[in-house]
Amino acid sequence: MKRRTFFLGIAGAAGCTPRGPRLNVFNWSNYIASDTIARFEAETGARVRYAVYESNEEMLARVISGNSGWDVVFPTNYFIEPMRAMGLLARLNLDLLPNRLDLFDEFQAPEWDPRLEWSMPYMWGCSGILYHERVAPAPRRWADMWDDRFRGRLTMLDDPAEVLGAALLKLGLSLNETSEAGLRRAQAEAIRQKPLVRAYLNAEVRDQMVAGDILACQLWATTAQQAMDEAPELRFAFPEEGFPLYADCAVVLKESDRAELAHRFIDYLMRPEVGAAIVRESRTATCNLAALRVLGEVLPPTLHLDQPVLARGQWFAAMPSVAQRLRDRLWTEIKSA
Amino acid sequence: MNRVRAWCLAPTAGVLATLFLIPLAILLGYALLTRGAYGGAFPPWTFENWQRLADPLYLGILGRSVAVALVSTAICLVLGFPLALFIARAGRRKHLYLYLVILPFWTSFLVRTYAWMFLLRDTGLINEALLALGLIEEPLPLLYNYGAVILGLVYGYLPFMVLPLYATLERLDPALLEAAADLGARPWQTLRRVVAPLSMPGIRAGSLLVFIPCLGAYLTPDLLGGGKTILVGTLIQNQFTNARDWPFGAALSLGVMAVVMALLMGLIRRQDEGVL
Repeated sequence: MKRRTFFLGIAGAAGCTPRGPRLNVFNWSNYIASDTIARFEAETGARVRYAVYESNEEMLARVISGNSGWDVVFPTNYFIEPMRAMGLLARLNLDLLPNRLDLFDEFQAPEWDPRLEWSMPYMWGCSGILYHERVAPAPRRWADMWDDRFRGRLTMLDDPAEVLGAALLKLGLSLNETSEAGLRRAQAEAIRQKPLVRAYLNAEVRDQMVAGDILACQLWATTAQQAMDEAPELRFAFPEEGFPLYADCAVVLKESDRAELAHRFIDYLMRPEVGAAIVRESRTATCNLAALRVLGEVLPPTLHLDQPVLARGQWFAAMPSVAQRLRDRLWTEIKSA
Repeated sequence: MNRVRAWCLAPTAGVLATLFLIPLAILLGYALLTRGAYGGAFPPWTFENWQRLADPLYLGILGRSVAVALVSTAICLVLGFPLALFIARAGRRKHLYLYLVILPFWTSFLVRTYAWMFLLRDTGLINEALLALGLIEEPLPLLYNYGAVILGLVYGYLPFMVLPLYATLERLDPALLEAAADLGARPWQTLRRVVAPLSMPGIRAGSLLVFIPCLGAYLTPDLLGGGKTILVGTLIQNQFTNARDWPFGAALSLGVMAVVMALLMGLIRRQDEGVL
């Protein structure tokens, strides 16, 4: 290739073609259907730059500067207040989001943003116990995860909030405990459990549950459902002491100068048929009631918001800095024990 | 002539400055700042992150990481030396053998580590084979312990030991070995008193090339250790993610770097003094 043609090519690739405005969307992986973006582009003439992240910290590290170039991101509920306090979020214009009325009642006034001023609940999830049906009696409580019969065949999540959370709930304390005394007790429980724990694994445990290496694990419900789709002999329990709940919510960043298009995108995601297509393909738990109605199939309890079960759940909350630091230290001590 | 040299070096110097020195300076800056509640690093300036390095909890983790790296390096040396010697004396076939040593680099380290997980799992190849042969009744706990971590490190970094060893052993004058034999040295004595001292530069280079990445390893301890232990690589990673304590993470990385530098300096000085 001649140098001049090469540079012309570069200029073309850089986007000199006269097309619509560009919307930048940064979301969790596996959270849309394969045609979700294409349909929005076809409908609006806008172009969407879509990328995915694997943790809130990763997302925040990118947008914290305030000139990251992203317009719409999906923080988990306990990240919304801190991001608002840092001045990163734009106030939502609810007039542009009529489809919000299709959300489940629980998400019309959630505790982290009661008037939906900053965030639109998108997907929810929880963690509980995935176990093999041949385990008898079946685990029903977090306390069962301390049972010696699981020695070496048990895993917990590799996540301080989840492991300390399970121990706190077992002790009858709050999931969002901040007191040193309470957290120390939970830590002692986690250390007592460690000899039984084969490993601290996140999504990797899925294959080992399917293969039967591991008999019981602490796992997110949506990941557990993927394992259950593959291996019907697996069961999921929502622990009786309570369990952690989280919701990933759509927000518009304050830095965005395409706020109207951003609202349009969020409202589009909340359309019943769009939401239904996403649930059908990605098997996630939507906050959108109308989407489930359109879907028309009975979803397993891991993916479907069930009132009596939900009532036992506790939402993760933002941690004060001191408590966060203490939890990190306790976690490092658990790992070093 | 000098200008030509300067021009030739400029790209390298530029790459080093932008990709190495500037990030290092940023890291140093972070290590002296205060953590933000949700990541980042902010004023005021402080030495607190450095004081925390002296905490027995973190010193213990560093000590454990050094021990794991030392054991892995020692095993690499014990396995790598005979192999390098064999290849160096393999005559026409040595290029084939060298090629085989570097062959694993053709696939990603991550994929190869996952392969080890499939081998070592309870329902993995090794356990299934032993069960089928009736040699064991219950699967052996091969995965998620220090043994698996060290196995993964030795597997991953063995070529870094073999190649420098091969380079020195290949240049070893066979006449010296004959001379040793003529003077009555038994093979073991020849190895210990002639071959080993002469291959010391290779041993030193290989050991460093293995020890340094093993010390900071993150992937292998995480995947094969199953998160049951914490080594310094994972500790640093945690600071930048879950713990949201970038300044302490920066101080930790610089601390590890200082340990490695001290080691390197010590070895270089000994080499300069001609002490073997």
